[in-house]
Amino acid sequence: MREILAAGRWLYLIAIYAFVVGPMLFVCAASLNSAANFPANFDGITFKWYEAILKYPEFTRAAWVSALVALVSSIIAVAAAFLAGYGMFRSDRKESVVLSTVLASPILVPQIVLSLATLQFLALFGVSSGLAGLVAVHTVHSLPFALRLVLSGFSRYNFSLEEASANLGAGRLTTWWQVTMPLLKANLIAGFTFCFILSFVNLPISLFLTDARTATLPLVMFAHLEARIDPMLPAVASIIVIAAAVTTILLERYLRIRLVD
Amino acid sequence: MKKPRIDIAKSLLLLPSLLLVTVLLGLPLVVIFVASFQPNALFPADRVGLFNYGYLVGSQYYLGILVRTLRLAIVGALITVPLGYVTAMLLQRVSGRAANLAIMGLTFPILAGPLVVILGWMALLPNRGPIFGPLVDAGWIAPPDLLGTEVAVLASLVQFMLPFAILTLFTSLRQIPNDLYEASRNLGASALQKFLHITLPLSLPGVLSSTIIVFSLGASSYISPHYLGGAADQTLTTLIAQFVLVTYNSPMAAASAMLLIAIMVAVIFGVGTAFGRLIRP
Repeated sequence: MREILAAGRWLYLIAIYAFVVGPMLFVCAASLNSAANFPANFDGITFKWYEAILKYPEFTRAAWVSALVALVSSIIAVAAAFLAGYGMFRSDRKESVVLSTVLASPILVPQIVLSLATLQFLALFGVSSGLAGLVAVHTVHSLPFALRLVLSGFSRYNFSLEEASANLGAGRLTTWWQVTMPLLKANLIAGFTFCFILSFVNLPISLFLTDARTATLPLVMFAHLEARIDPMLPAVASIIVIAAAVTTILLERYLRIRLVD
Repeated sequence: MKKPRIDIAKSLLLLPSLLLVTVLLGLPLVVIFVASFQPNALFPADRVGLFNYGYLVGSQYYLGILVRTLRLAIVGALITVPLGYVTAMLLQRVSGRAANLAIMGLTFPILAGPLVVILGWMALLPNRGPIFGPLVDAGWIAPPDLLGTEVAVLASLVQFMLPFAILTLFTSLRQIPNDLYEASRNLGASALQKFLHITLPLSLPGVLSSTIIVFSLGASSYISPHYLGGAADQTLTTLIAQFVLVTYNSPMAAASAMLLIAIMVAVIFGVGTAFGRLIRP
């Protein structure tokens, strides 16, 4: 009876993980299939779709746009979250609850509504979005995630170390650079990485804000999907899956940081 | 003398993030709120009014969209949260290296995002695909034609939302003090009693937050209904996209967006109140 229960538990967990991760692994496997369609029966192993992406300017250019937007928006979001976290730990409890609710509010707004609101807001001034508009909307979207990781760093941060540093004659800047930053480094890096990837793979928040020149990678991928399903898409998707997996492993191993704490 | 000076420093520290949220989120939301009352191609009035909302809740077609949006989000949450709860409970017994791997296995799908999820189902669900192909060939089932149905949308939603639910519930369950279980064991409680009197009541806040997260993700999802749902089976999010990209009707898009936010707030508030009673009777 015991054994049956234990086996049942494992079977349940395996089923759940197969359901969550299985389709992704299937896409990765499909990217190595040499058949000229996707999805298709297995035909032979090839890396030609990965080569094809590199020679396909639409994908490479969109990847650069996405990387640039993700880079700039994540830096701004993490910097703003860092300052906010610093300010919140100088506030009393009531204030910091209000502040964290306000600063986490972007997460509650549907992404497509965020895109629409930014579009109409910019239209009010007669400007089209361009890269700046994309960066703006991605920054707002990233802020709650950045704040969450920064705050978990501050919750283990000991402010008396700053006083000690000041007592030893260090200036404000020296203290920041030599005490504050090293202690929070892991959380800042993790915050930046999460924000970068979440921005890089996000489609809905950019939906109404791009033109042919500023189309992000997810938008180009899905435009392709609507035209014809070709095996380059699983190759792009596998690169994203591998990047996500590697990031998760590196953060866990070297920074001991997870999304749950 | 000292206090005001510290307050200035604090305000300066908080200024950038508060500015970001007010200018880039608050003001744009005000803009679409105002826009939702404006006349448009469908209502060429010369005044503002509630006509856009009236149109959206008045016609059978748009009401159907609203109901479908709610149905997907609610059914998605009703499937995801219980599945996630059991998973999170079973994961409590896994320890060490395996536990780390288990958590990481749920983190990377969140990072990889819904794009990969959609591609996966597009490859797996066709009648000739790897799941149904062999069954159809063997004559065991009729071709299920799942792509373009709500079942496909739900499958992808549940897959995408499960990691969020499991991680939230895992954290919540782990916070229950072990002493309580030891005490209950000493008092001779059965496994069922332990669950009903310790685990379940103490994990209700986690159930509440995971329900809210999953419901919000479901109601605001755009990619799943757009790419895996049928062309006629719109949800509020795909409707917004259609108003912006196809019919160029900004006021109607704004009204649909406000309607989406309104029903999300209403359901979250309702669920919160109901759970509040359970948590603090």
